[in-house]
Amino acid sequence: MNISPSVHTFSRDEAAILQEVMNIAFGKASADLARVIDIRIELSVPQVELMTADGLLPRIKEETKVYDALSIIEQNFWGKFSGSALLAFPSTAKKGLITLFDEEGEEDSPLLEKETLLEVGNILIGACVGKVAELLGDMVSFSPPRLNPHVVINNLAQEAVSQQLDGADKTAVLMKTVFHFEDKDISGFLFLVANQDSMAWLQTALNNFMAKF
Amino acid sequence: MIKKILIVDDSPVARAIVKKCLPKDHDFELSEAGDGQEGVQKFKEVRPDLTMLDLTMPVMDGFGALAAIKKEDRKAVVMVLSSDIQKKTVAKVMDLGADLVLPKPPSAESIQEALTKAARILEG
Repeated sequence: MNISPSVHTFSRDEAAILQEVMNIAFGKASADLARVIDIRIELSVPQVELMTADGLLPRIKEETKVYDALSIIEQNFWGKFSGSALLAFPSTAKKGLITLFDEEGEEDSPLLEKETLLEVGNILIGACVGKVAELLGDMVSFSPPRLNPHVVINNLAQEAVSQQLDGADKTAVLMKTVFHFEDKDISGFLFLVANQDSMAWLQTALNNFMAKF
Repeated sequence: MIKKILIVDDSPVARAIVKKCLPKDHDFELSEAGDGQEGVQKFKEVRPDLTMLDLTMPVMDGFGALAAIKKEDRKAVVMVLSSDIQKKTVAKVMDLGADLVLPKPPSAESIQEALTKAARILEG
């Protein structure tokens, strides 16, 4: 567990509840994707970290620094639970991802790469964020997914992945999970960032979630 | 009858949810472990009637713990309680000898039903 105790508005208990909610939600998301691609997805223990918004991009950069460049699918979501989801794969994984849907693979096709990344993003982000919202008694809407096919890690902070991640004075919750496609050398990262406008609702919703049991 | 239960999950929240879902009219002897390795150790110490096992855990995951527990006692009753509900994951844990699989989050009803099934398995 990696829960920062330093942010004032969120208790350690609330962060632990959010971690379990994220765990359940990503389990659902991976099952949805596994049904489509017929490959098991190995999951890791999700991490929840509370931080100021200006720390988010350096944090994401730190988490993904073993890669030179990433393909990032980004989707904003809003409801009572609102924020941004970033699904990141190493840029070198694009061809491998295509073989998830088509075993024989295809010759270089930027369009197919784009469609594959957007489809994987659509399934994983939609199912995961949707399940978090559902477990917490909310329903969210999504912006269309946006693909940045090649983000150089060293420039990540400058490439303005999302305007939602701006704002040094804002508090944000970063939820991260790393996953790996079994029998394929492909790993990915999913980051969910709940923005400051969600904080009060999120705290109440997390406590209500536990009270249900 | 299920008396001794071992709950193995790295999340204290998940363990708390399980405890809240257990029937209140039973006097269970509960043990807990925070990862697979500790779970295997506790299993050897406690010899529970039922082990509830998460899969995604640090140090030793649930797959490793399940294999170790079944190696220790092939008749051990193990219920996998996980958010990883992929078809191939379920097939994998059944191959490793899991007796029951329950998706997270559990409810009082799903736990009650699982306990009934576990008791039947325990009684052979």
